[in-house]
Amino acid sequence: MKKPIITFARWGNYTIAFKTIFEQLGLEVIPPEKTTSQTIAEGAKIAPEMYCFPLKVTLGNYLPALKKGANTIFMVQNVGGSCRQRYYGAIQEKVLKEAGHDINFLDFRATPKDIYSMIKKISGASLLQVLKAGRFFFKKLHLIEKIEKLAQFCRPREIEKGITDKILQESLLKLDELKKEKDFQELKKEILKRFSGIKIEKNKDLPKVGLIGEIYTVCDPTINFEVERKLGLEGIGVYREMDITYHIKKLIFPWKDWIIQRKINPYLKSTVGGHGRDAIYEMLHYIKEDFDGIIHLLPFGCMPEVTIRPILEKIHLESGIPFLSISLDEQTAEAGIDTRLEAFTDVVRNYHQYKSSKL
Amino acid sequence: MTIGIPRALIYWKQPQFWETFFENLGFKVILSPPTNKEIVEMGVKVADPETCFSNKVYWGHLLWLEGKVDYIFVPRLKANQEKLEYCPKFFGLPDLGKILTKTPILTEIFDERKEKLEKTLKRLGGKLNKNKEEIKKARGLAFLKEKELKEKEKQEVSLKIQSKKQKIVLISHPYNLYDDYINLRVKEKLEKLGAEVIFIEEIPLQNQKSKIKNQKLDWPKFHWEFGKEIKEKIEQVLNYNITGAIEISSFQCGCDAVLKEFVEKAFKQNKIPFLYLMIDEQTGEAGIQTRLEAFMDTI
Repeated sequence: MKKPIITFARWGNYTIAFKTIFEQLGLEVIPPEKTTSQTIAEGAKIAPEMYCFPLKVTLGNYLPALKKGANTIFMVQNVGGSCRQRYYGAIQEKVLKEAGHDINFLDFRATPKDIYSMIKKISGASLLQVLKAGRFFFKKLHLIEKIEKLAQFCRPREIEKGITDKILQESLLKLDELKKEKDFQELKKEILKRFSGIKIEKNKDLPKVGLIGEIYTVCDPTINFEVERKLGLEGIGVYREMDITYHIKKLIFPWKDWIIQRKINPYLKSTVGGHGRDAIYEMLHYIKEDFDGIIHLLPFGCMPEVTIRPILEKIHLESGIPFLSISLDEQTAEAGIDTRLEAFTDVVRNYHQYKSSKL
Repeated sequence: MTIGIPRALIYWKQPQFWETFFENLGFKVILSPPTNKEIVEMGVKVADPETCFSNKVYWGHLLWLEGKVDYIFVPRLKANQEKLEYCPKFFGLPDLGKILTKTPILTEIFDERKEKLEKTLKRLGGKLNKNKEEIKKARGLAFLKEKELKEKEKQEVSLKIQSKKQKIVLISHPYNLYDDYINLRVKEKLEKLGAEVIFIEEIPLQNQKSKIKNQKLDWPKFHWEFGKEIKEKIEQVLNYNITGAIEISSFQCGCDAVLKEFVEKAFKQNKIPFLYLMIDEQTGEAGIQTRLEAFMDTI
């Protein structure tokens, strides 16, 4: 057997953390290419036309890595539940093989047992090594999620424009280069110190917008045209609950699902696959928290999100909160999204003023 | 009291079963008429633009029934006897229906992973204030009707299989196959072109005693009921010496995006010509006709 050179599905800034697992186990990794309009076009060329957008994106990310010599692909199954995500592995393997790539496709279920046996098979590492790599992975993941949240907070309040993004990008780059776990604490301290050094207007009254929708499009700034950053620079506080930790917690502890179901019972009495229920729950939650707008992001034709969209629209009509739903696919142009976001920010600001004038 | 049943989508999974059940419980049942232009237009107007075409048609039927009946029956189908799931878009139908119409919606969760069908039907009957005996009788008659239909279908299909004409197999979901308006009368058109049309839905599953060995397809294990069903039926149909296969799918059907890849592969491996047709509210009859003629010429 050839020596495995690994690549995997890209997922926003979290790619850095995923890369760490393989590196720690002594495997050779070629990280997937950053998503650009070119990789999306390449992926869409060989992907099935009707399939949902993330499949095309991740496929486009593999291709340059495969060109550089990767021969093994990691893809996780059933992240979403009843939706099409289950068959990503099967379809991507078929499509890549038909396109003439000689690859070893590792398609595994998202259970600890499956993940462990898969990693064991490919690397031959001991349990202790796998656990250590896992620990490092979670440390990095938490830090990434934390600085994303910090950036969300600082961006609209910063005094020197653009400083938050600069620090965020530099921190992510440093985190990517970090190889040894023992240096982690030091780096974490340094990064957090830099973030706390950003000068902000503390008591600024900001309109708040909640991001809801499909987890992949919400979390990956390269696909959603940096909605978070754009709104932040416009002086709007952006919040989102979706991230990997949220997803993993839901996989391990089922009661989160029960709570969600109880809260959304008047609107939807069943799961619809994916994170359909979560979107409704989050929207209701944001309305309760007195937010000034909701942005719903989904890949074009995403089954769960499309099913629940009429319900979100109904909630929007009942409560009067500004609501914008954006479907993303390979034909979405940035200019179009920008125009819609600009119009939306105006609506959000007006709504915020109207609400505060009533008080 | 009258109960309305939209003649679309899930109705075609078990045609005549629900009418028989409710009629024998002593209710008047109104079925929406076969799909026509107004119904499609009504549905398209209210539906989410990105949902699948079959769903849009369903909303049209639902709106047609509004005001004409006391209850509209919209079951929440979740899992079948084999514990396989239905399309996730079915899960939300009653809730979305509630938003669209003012007529109350009669619904029950059909999830055989948790509860047998008989028990669910009992609960459904209970909602309509019927006692155990009545429900049992109605249920029995409905099952009988369903069985009768299946038997009839079986005989027809065995005749078709022996036919000397060119045999074309149509692959799709029942709600695309049996609804003539939606599939633009593909069956009629093919028959005019001299072909014998077999629906994948009609093909009886082989019992295990039979001696003919089916070709095993290398498909992933589907958690969707139709995925497994279509796989087994295609394995069966490859024995029938068919000359061509056509898959029909409605625009934005998420499940078909997965299935198509494997269906196409199965027929290509066996060197059987394959045509993929996509239907939506804008599909024109002339376009389909041309493609079908061209396809028949290649065979």
